Amino acid sequence: MKVDIRELGQFNHLASQGAQRAARSLSQLTGVHMDVEVTDVSLVTENVLAETFTGQSFVGVELGLEGGLEGETVLAFERERALKLQDLLLEATGSSDELAQSSVTELGNIMIGGFIDGWANHLGKAINMTPPKYTEAVGPRILPDQAIEAAKNHGVFLFESKLEAMDLDLDFSIYMLPEYRQFVDLLSGTDQGNQIPVNRLSAFEDLAKEGAGNAAGQIGMMTGLDTDVDISRLRFVPLEGVPRQVGDDRFVGVVFELKGMPSGYLVVLFDEASAKTVASSMMPGGSSDEEGIGTMTEGAIKELGNIMTSGFIDGWANVLGTSIEHTPPNFVYDMGSAIMSPVVGKLGKQQEYAFVIDSTIEIDGRQGRCDIYALPNERELARALSALPDQT
Amino acid sequence: MKRLETDDTTVSRRKIGIAEYAVVTDETVLVTSGLGSCLGIVLYDSRNTVSGLIHVMLPSVDQARDTTPAKFVDTGVPLLIDEMNAAGATPSRLQAWIVGGSEMLQFDSGGESIGSRNIAMAEHLIDDHGLTLVGADVGGNHGRSIQFDPAAGAVSIRTADDSNRTI
Repeated sequence: MKVDIRELGQFNHLASQGAQRAARSLSQLTGVHMDVEVTDVSLVTENVLAETFTGQSFVGVELGLEGGLEGETVLAFERERALKLQDLLLEATGSSDELAQSSVTELGNIMIGGFIDGWANHLGKAINMTPPKYTEAVGPRILPDQAIEAAKNHGVFLFESKLEAMDLDLDFSIYMLPEYRQFVDLLSGTDQGNQIPVNRLSAFEDLAKEGAGNAAGQIGMMTGLDTDVDISRLRFVPLEGVPRQVGDDRFVGVVFELKGMPSGYLVVLFDEASAKTVASSMMPGGSSDEEGIGTMTEGAIKELGNIMTSGFIDGWANVLGTSIEHTPPNFVYDMGSAIMSPVVGKLGKQQEYAFVIDSTIEIDGRQGRCDIYALPNERELARALSALPDQT
Repeated sequence: MKRLETDDTTVSRRKIGIAEYAVVTDETVLVTSGLGSCLGIVLYDSRNTVSGLIHVMLPSVDQARDTTPAKFVDTGVPLLIDEMNAAGATPSRLQAWIVGGSEMLQFDSGGESIGSRNIAMAEHLIDDHGLTLVGADVGGNHGRSIQFDPAAGAVSIRTADDSNRTI
C-alpha cells in the first residue's frame, strides 16, 4: 500500500474545508466567532491513539458511510468543551438540553457532511451517510472498535482540526478517523514519484520516536533531571499551519538546518522556565544567579541542542542509508510562531505541505517541557523512504 | 457572562493567519501574529473606510510549486488592492504599512534572507502601485505581532518582550 503525498494534501485540504464549514456553523449557532487554526493528518499507531485520547472525556458522533467511501467514521470533541458549546447554544437559542445535544450531533453532521461532500466531488462518486449516533466515553474508547483494531495492525489516519474562538477561551480539537482500508486505497494515487509505502511511513514514525527518546536521554544525562517522551507524532500539515501549531508564546531554543538526505530543519524549543531549569542544572553546583535569559542560558541551550539534535537524527542516516549533518545552532528567544516563520519560508518554495515530527519531552516530572519539531524536505524524505529495500 | 452576539458581522476583531488576508469596511480590528521573516501588509482608504491586511510568506511566486496568491508579496499585494477596490476603496487613496521581514535565523544556504527580500519586494510594489507608505517597522532579528485599528488609522506592534509601538 502506498500513499501519494499529493493525494494526502488534497484530503487534508478537504478536511480543512469541512472544519471551516463546521466553524462557520458554530459561529452562527452560538454567536461566538470561531476560526480553524489548523488541520493536520497523521498515520497513528495504537500507542499514539492512547497518548492522544487517554485521560480525557469525549463526546463522539458516529456515522456509517456508503458509496464512494465506506465504513464507520467518527468525529470526537473533548467533552468539557462540547458542554461549553452546548451552554452557548442554549443561551443563544433558549432551548432545551435535548436540542443542545441534537445540535452537537447536528454539528457533527455538518462537519462530516462538509468533509464527505468534498470527497465525493473529488472522487466523482456519491457518498451516503447513515444517521449520526451520539456517544460519550473516556479515552480511546470513544473510537469504534475497528479503528483501534486497525491502529494495532497497521495504524489509522487521524485528522485533527484545531478550532479557536476569537474572544473566548473555547479552543478545542475535532478528531476524525475515516475507515482505514478504503482510505489507503484512495490515497494511493497514480504518480510514482511522490509515493511513500505506508509501512515505511510508520517505520519512520517509530524512528522519530526513538530519536525523541535519545534526545530525552541526552537532556537527562546533561542535567541529571528525569526526562520522558510524552508524545511523538508524525503530522502532515499545510506549511502555513506549522507556526500556528507552535503558537505565539515566547520560547527559548535553537534551530538547525539539516543537510544531506533528507535535508530540512530541526527546532528545539523550551518555555522560559524550563530553559532556566535545564540551564541551571547544567551549571557546576546545579544553580545559577542569572537574571532572565542571558548568555549563560544561551550557551547551555546551544550545547544541549547540539547534542539532542545529533541524538535525534542519529538513527535516520543508519536506517535510510544516507548521510545527514546539521549546521551549528541558531539561538532563538522569541514568539514560537515567529521562530517558525523563516523555517516554513525556506521550505515554502518547494512544498505546500510538510511532514512535521512533533515530539514533547517532559522534564523533571511535569515541571518542564521541551518540544522538538523536525521538518524534513518532503520530496527528499519520500525518495529516501521509497528507496529502502523491501523488508521481509 | 459575556453577552452573546448573534450576528457574525458584529465581530470586533479578525485574526489573519499566514497566507491569508482580510478586507473589511467597518471598524473591525485586523490582527496577525508571528511575523518573523514573513511580512504583514496593511492597506487603508480612510475616506471610504476600507481596510485590508495580508500576511505573506515569500517575496515571489516565481518558481514556486504552490501558487496560493496570498502566500507571496508579488501576487498578494495586487490581490489585496483588487479586493479592496471591489469593496469600495479608491486605489490612489490607499495608505500602506509594512511590518516584519526580520532575519530570525542565519543559515549558510540561500544567500540574502527571506525577510529582506520580502521587504524589498513590498517596497517596490507599493511604489509601483502609487500607494503612500505611511509606516514601516521592518528588519531586525525579532518577531512581531500587529493589529490595525481602522478607527485610529494606525498599526500597533507588539514584540515577544511585550514592548509596544504604534506607527
